[in-house]
Amino acid sequence: MSVTAERSVQAVHVHPRARDYPGSFLDGVIPNESELTCGTRIEPGKSYGFFTDTTLCIGCKACEVACKEWNALPADSVGFTGMSYDNTGGLSANTWRHVAFIEKRGPTGTRQTDQDAFQSGWLMMSDVCKHCHNAPCLEACPTGALFRTEFDTVVVQQDICNGCGYCVPACPFGVVDLNPLDGKAHKCTLCYDRLKGGLEPACAKACPTDSIQFGEVPELQARAEQRVEQLQSLGVAGAHLYGAPGGEGATGGLGHLNAFFLLTERPETYGLPPAPTRPANRVAPGLLAGLATMAGLALGALALLGGGRR
Amino acid sequence: MRTLEGIVTVVQEGRFLLTTDDGSTHLLILSHAAAAEPHQLAALQRAQSRVRATCRPAPDLIGWVVRRLDVLEATA
Repeated sequence: MSVTAERSVQAVHVHPRARDYPGSFLDGVIPNESELTCGTRIEPGKSYGFFTDTTLCIGCKACEVACKEWNALPADSVGFTGMSYDNTGGLSANTWRHVAFIEKRGPTGTRQTDQDAFQSGWLMMSDVCKHCHNAPCLEACPTGALFRTEFDTVVVQQDICNGCGYCVPACPFGVVDLNPLDGKAHKCTLCYDRLKGGLEPACAKACPTDSIQFGEVPELQARAEQRVEQLQSLGVAGAHLYGAPGGEGATGGLGHLNAFFLLTERPETYGLPPAPTRPANRVAPGLLAGLATMAGLALGALALLGGGRR
Repeated sequence: MRTLEGIVTVVQEGRFLLTTDDGSTHLLILSHAAAAEPHQLAALQRAQSRVRATCRPAPDLIGWVVRRLDVLEATA
């Protein structure tokens, strides 16, 4: 490599191992390619996820396209939704990444007609399965089709799923969906097959602004905290994390979200629940309430029947 | 119903890409009514098998729903 080329490689902070692959055409897959693309070596037993910084999202939808391409997902909702620039609509069995376009409203709830220079009236967020630490979909699955992988992600095994659909209402984020064509539940796998091959997930790799960052969850959480501090020091007072441990979005026994977000507005603005909960939390109160009702009815019947005999 | 003949090139879950002789590639989804299971598709892809898919257009999707899949020849 020439001196000039070496300097240019150093200038853009390329991983040192990238110098081993100077050509455009490769003989095969680069071992542990994720080290070169996102600085993370993928190893079983560690916890991996996404940190989505919505302040960096430009709404290009490269993540949506990369996801569809890699996972061979068909284009759906063919037609024009009329919902601003968002023609995807939402997450579904055939759409595992969704870039939401939210036009900010003024204080009176109407669209602002004037704006400061270089400011955007748009919020963009690439939504995805959160791969919850305590995943309600996994808890609700009666067949064990939903399982936790060696990378701490949640995946549906298609050959075991019987299409009962219990996971669909269990998800507090409305992520899991049934496909009526094949009768099975589908959602983001965090590119399980790519992780096994040492590759960064397709959406994170395709993101041109690094709004979607892939890595080990503790490392991403630390990075996200730093980014919030940086944004707040720059005057973005509303910058906060959604899904970080103990914070907003990681409520109701969910633990934390392996795919978490940096938001600048309230989560409802982005279509996220402000306080999601595990349905399993309601099993014990529901069971106790049912038993108490049964006991009350039995006592009432005994009192009526006993009184009638006297 | 329509029949498509070609090589299974990519498989993901119950979905696969079928490349026909004219070079065009179609996205097919295995129907719940088909006499085949998603885990059988990976073997067809590895063997670069030539198959005939009996399918219909998927409603509101750019793809085809496969009702019947016949293996014509396995080249590997």
